[in-house]
Amino acid sequence: MKKIIEYDRRLFRRLRKFHLPHSWKKVGLTIAIAAFVLMLVKRFVDEPEWVKPLLANIMLIGLLIISISKEKVEDEMMASIRAQSYGIAFVSGVIYAIVQPYVNFGVAWLLGSENPNTDMSYFQVLVFMLIVQLLFFKQFKRACL
Amino acid sequence: MTNRLKIERAIQDLTQEALAERIGVSRQTINSIEKGRYVPSTVLALKLSAEFGKPVNELFFLEKSDSN
Repeated sequence: MKKIIEYDRRLFRRLRKFHLPHSWKKVGLTIAIAAFVLMLVKRFVDEPEWVKPLLANIMLIGLLIISISKEKVEDEMMASIRAQSYGIAFVSGVIYAIVQPYVNFGVAWLLGSENPNTDMSYFQVLVFMLIVQLLFFKQFKRACL
Repeated sequence: MTNRLKIERAIQDLTQEALAERIGVSRQTINSIEKGRYVPSTVLALKLSAEFGKPVNELFFLEKSDSN
């Protein structure tokens, strides 16, 4: 039993410190931008239905790679700033998921639409959370300089 | 919390960059601590204390605003 608890502890310690190398930031950025551009291009080209969710997932993977890549010097201040930005992203993501359908409904009602779209896709929420995290992380870093 | 890091660094004629390298953090972290924008962990405070050869409470000081 003690061995299992010790193994769990080691695993959690490793998970807590898991980050991709700094060079992966550019890889993530390239993937996210390429997927975003292809999503825009797709609107003007007739593509099969499965392309849209695939591009959305690729964009999410790109943003996630940026989010979990190390800074040039990853020290305790960076870890603290990162934790704060994840906290804000989580709370704002939940609020966004709750409020956004009502906003859609309100806008549709104002425009007189009969079938307002109040659905919330996982892509919308996750992309919102990742972008909020990245923006706040950058902003906090700038505030510390 | 305030600190005497900048003064101690000046006494030892150390740049932020050099101090950061010695204790394994970024220059920005040293800058943020000196300006009071970041409160270091106990480990980092002890590393700074060892670097300057002074007790932690001679480097860092509580302020009235830290009491609550």
